[in-house]
Amino acid sequence: MTERTVEDRLREEYFSLLPDALRISEELEAEVRHCLLPLLNKLEKHEKLTVNSRIKDCESALGALRRRQEGAVFDPDRGDKYSLKGLNDFAGVRVLAFPRSRWLEADDLLRRHSQFALWTPDPVRVRPNDLEVEPLAFKYYGYCSRNAALRAELQIAPMLIGLFWEVEHSAIYKPSPHLKGVLAGMDERTIKVYEALKDFESEFERLIRRDPLKAKRKKKKKKKRVHQ
Amino acid sequence: MLTVGGKKQILEDAGYAYSFDRLSYINRDARKVFSIEFVQDHSEAELKNRINEPTPPGEWKFYFNLAPSEGVKREFLRSITR
Repeated sequence: MTERTVEDRLREEYFSLLPDALRISEELEAEVRHCLLPLLNKLEKHEKLTVNSRIKDCESALGALRRRQEGAVFDPDRGDKYSLKGLNDFAGVRVLAFPRSRWLEADDLLRRHSQFALWTPDPVRVRPNDLEVEPLAFKYYGYCSRNAALRAELQIAPMLIGLFWEVEHSAIYKPSPHLKGVLAGMDERTIKVYEALKDFESEFERLIRRDPLKAKRKKKKKKKRVHQ
Repeated sequence: MLTVGGKKQILEDAGYAYSFDRLSYINRDARKVFSIEFVQDHSEAELKNRINEPTPPGEWKFYFNLAPSEGVKREFLRSITR
């Protein structure tokens, strides 16, 4: 009979954890939407905020656990020491907001919410040691109220960066085998993309804030109020 | 994201190639492996010293922060030779 590998054991664990992960992601998404209602209700037409939950697929979960081992291999002689319960992001919710000021507001609301106040911050940074620089996205992980076995992750990202990641991660971090080596030198270009997206949003907000039509509308409203 | 800067250049100049699958720099001719964690946590001078260390005939040398078990070494070499 063929020997059972570490991966076989982890795949079995994955499917035993899946029902819990589904419940967690649903609970987390509902909690986040509820918490963000005050912000969702006051969004202007040009502003956006999305909330999506997701569960890692089986091979991604195995890959994530494998990458956490030095040399990215499992020790076949010690298969019992690995568990997918060690992942911070088996289930998770991603909040994307546009423009950046709404991203900061969303983070502020969620961070102060009792459920997430005790979660561990794990911000996404361009360079892990650049602690002074504003992170690319906020990230927290912890346990949901009804499950103490699996951790979940809450990610709050500027929408433009989040959408860029959706394409970039599937191309660079989960590439087809023949692309892996080819894309090795993309780090600097990726950093330039982050800078460009940040500049775009800053300029967008600056222009919106000084919108002359908006200023006129406000003046008119004030006048109306005075006449009344 | 890698933050190994000049170390990356030192390794590449010494004939090491980065493996995305194994998150390590590998040189098949020198039969040496440097994990990304080891590269991040050690100085350029230390790295150069390790690159210049001889490898006993027929063996591989693994430069990991935590010494890898025999199982890990076996699995690592199996994955890069298949």
